[in-house]
Amino acid sequence: MKFGPKAAGAAIFLSAALALTGCGGGGSATGSGNGGAATTSLTIAELGDLPSFDPVDAHIGHTMPYYQAVYDTLLIREADGTISPMLAAEKSWNADNTVLTLKLRTDAKFTDGTPVDAAAVKANLDHFQQAKGRDVYQVASMASVAVVDPSTVAITLSTPDPAFEYYLTQAAGFVASPKAIGTPGIKTDPVGSGPYKLDTASSVKGSQYVYTKNPDYWNKDLQKFEKVTIKSLPDITARTNALVSGQIDGALLDPKTGKQAEGAGLVLTKSEVDWHGILLYDRDGKINPEMANVKVRQAINYAFDRKTILDQQFLGQGTPTSQVFGPDSGAFVADLDNRYSYDPAKAKQLLAEAGYPEGFTLKIPTMAGFEALNAVYSQQLSDIGINVQLESVPQANYVGDMAAGKFAAATFQLYQGEPWVAINQMISTSALYNPFKSTNPEIAALVEEVHVGGENSSELAKKVNTYVTENAWFAPLFRLNQMYYTSKKITVEPQLQQAVPSIYNYAPAK
Amino acid sequence: MVQFIIRKIAAGLVVLCAISFLTYFLLYFSSSNIARNILGEYASQEQVAQKETELGLDQPLPARFLDWAGHSITGDFGRSWFTGEPVATAIATRLPITLTLVIAAILLIAVLATVLGMAAAVKRGWIDRVVQTGAIVGDAIPGFVLAIILVTLFAIQLKLFPATSSIAPDAGASAWAASLTLPAIALVINGVTGGAQQVRSAVIKQLERDYVRTLRSRGIPEREILFKHVLRSAAPTGLTVLSLQFIGMLGGVVIIEQIFALPGIGNLAVQSTTMGDIPLVMGVVLYTVVIVIIVNLLVDLINGWLNPKVRVS
Repeated sequence: MKFGPKAAGAAIFLSAALALTGCGGGGSATGSGNGGAATTSLTIAELGDLPSFDPVDAHIGHTMPYYQAVYDTLLIREADGTISPMLAAEKSWNADNTVLTLKLRTDAKFTDGTPVDAAAVKANLDHFQQAKGRDVYQVASMASVAVVDPSTVAITLSTPDPAFEYYLTQAAGFVASPKAIGTPGIKTDPVGSGPYKLDTASSVKGSQYVYTKNPDYWNKDLQKFEKVTIKSLPDITARTNALVSGQIDGALLDPKTGKQAEGAGLVLTKSEVDWHGILLYDRDGKINPEMANVKVRQAINYAFDRKTILDQQFLGQGTPTSQVFGPDSGAFVADLDNRYSYDPAKAKQLLAEAGYPEGFTLKIPTMAGFEALNAVYSQQLSDIGINVQLESVPQANYVGDMAAGKFAAATFQLYQGEPWVAINQMISTSALYNPFKSTNPEIAALVEEVHVGGENSSELAKKVNTYVTENAWFAPLFRLNQMYYTSKKITVEPQLQQAVPSIYNYAPAK
Repeated sequence: MVQFIIRKIAAGLVVLCAISFLTYFLLYFSSSNIARNILGEYASQEQVAQKETELGLDQPLPARFLDWAGHSITGDFGRSWFTGEPVATAIATRLPITLTLVIAAILLIAVLATVLGMAAAVKRGWIDRVVQTGAIVGDAIPGFVLAIILVTLFAIQLKLFPATSSIAPDAGASAWAASLTLPAIALVINGVTGGAQQVRSAVIKQLERDYVRTLRSRGIPEREILFKHVLRSAAPTGLTVLSLQFIGMLGGVVIIEQIFALPGIGNLAVQSTTMGDIPLVMGVVLYTVVIVIIVNLLVDLINGWLNPKVRVS
């Protein structure tokens, strides 16, 4: 192909267009927020739509703000994790932590006029349990709910549950008007007692939801705005563009798009929520007999150059770690954080001691989004003699295949919740991320101590943490930063152990 | 004429059935973990099994397909497995946005391509060279790159248009126009060049024909020759290209919708396909095929009207 005048003209045109757009976005920062009244509206973007406004469809993490705007929870979780009264003004446990009595506040009303009373709370908790929605595991230990008097509810648990109060700040704690529960309308027209009301006329399913201030709300302190808009923008480019052009005030980005946001003058709020690494499921050697040997699993932990991988793949946004429990969980053991350094020589020595000096073959799944990481992990594992075979799995099947026990190990990322939540997430025999139901008398006893530990549960969980770290149940690599960017018009506090801030954590900038 | 239409519609229905089955067949193999995906990670095995029975996932493929087909013929496309929203509603709220965008883009392409193509064919010279150069550039740049350039330039830096759009039902015409302008421009730039090229070639070929010389020798004004006679003869080529572009655009609009966060069919198609939400995917496929069949039929009819030689007697 000759590069004649036509091609040259095309090249000039193209480079001119790109050059124009390349002119740095700096200086076009969105609203400086000074010299004028504080903003009265909040517009944020979420990574996805909510399934429906029925509280049984609520789920931890990204979609919480949609519900928090219209529904109150029985208890509220502050930004730092403290559990405080909300619809339940007082709470008390019985001696063996199996009955929780909640005294409700008397001035809360749903937007349809019905009062928030004990009967309403019972209706909600019963419905949540029967409807078997996504987060029904939160009420797994709930045996019955009794109305003691119009403003007192007694919840009886079949077994102590150290995480139960936490669950009452999450999906299980949302309270909707009993008249709306069970009706099809609740999916699109929420009737709650929360700080805002849904403006159905301006809302578009799957695209944006507009909320206006609830004039009868009982807690003016939680109502920081007149209007709240939550947009669903799954595509990160669209999210970044919306943020940088001033269309939205806050959104979650990633290390690479974050640079563009920073260039535009947006404010970064970082918080560590997830840990990322390889879950070494096959501790009983059902698929890979080698994996049953603790030295083999420890060898895997020594094989990774955590700091370099973090710097290269995530632009350094996070902290290398060797434990799966988070710093604010109460089960964190500072000394364990660097338990496994980058030591391929030691890894090979451990493998030889375990009887596998030539290494072995390990098959792990991979999916869209993990390819680059799995390539690095394969490389570093092959350096110590473990030959990794990657099997491509469709994204939709990834969790299912792991849970079905199809693989001895898998790369994944999990949020670091409260200790009892984390134990039920990946350590207990009923945990989803313990597909082979690995257990032994020692760990079972430690888990049981946490189970009945009451107020000491978190402290007792340190022993569980130490056990699973020393026995290399997992190969944690790093904790990752959630990168939340906001315009200068608002301020936000990150929510502990939650992917995005709660709706209560936003405020207009002064 | 009526026979012609009936035959076309019958052929279209056969295509519809074939594509429906083929799509269902392909989706069938990806639905093994659907129940768990719907219920979430913490659901118990019994819950998952119960959900599978509820959704009919334990039935064999022919039974499931006939069940879906039977319901669809009566107009009941079912509900989304993940959100419970009726498929018909989900599509009805999103189709207008995509169709408005695509139709607007196609109309603009039709007009611009004709004008540019004819100008290039008749005037030759520098216009011709600009059109040809533009053709290379417009065709070479992928739609999503154009979209990103447009967003960065006009929405972020110049702030003339919104970067993303949520077109609420009660938003006025100006909100629609503001939201759809940049996406439409991206689509137009991609499509107008191919169309202009086709029009240009067709018109050049027509201008060399004997009948044009005859018309000129009869003293008929050049403008009349051009617009009344040449264009009519060149139209079939242009229309074919246009219809192909329209159909291609229904697919290509997916990326544009992602970048501009438009709540259209493209977005719905991507999300429902990645999640494996079969009722929604089938609904989208069905509507798309129907639109394609209608467009093809319309193009055939217009061609027949413009050019009697094409009509099937």
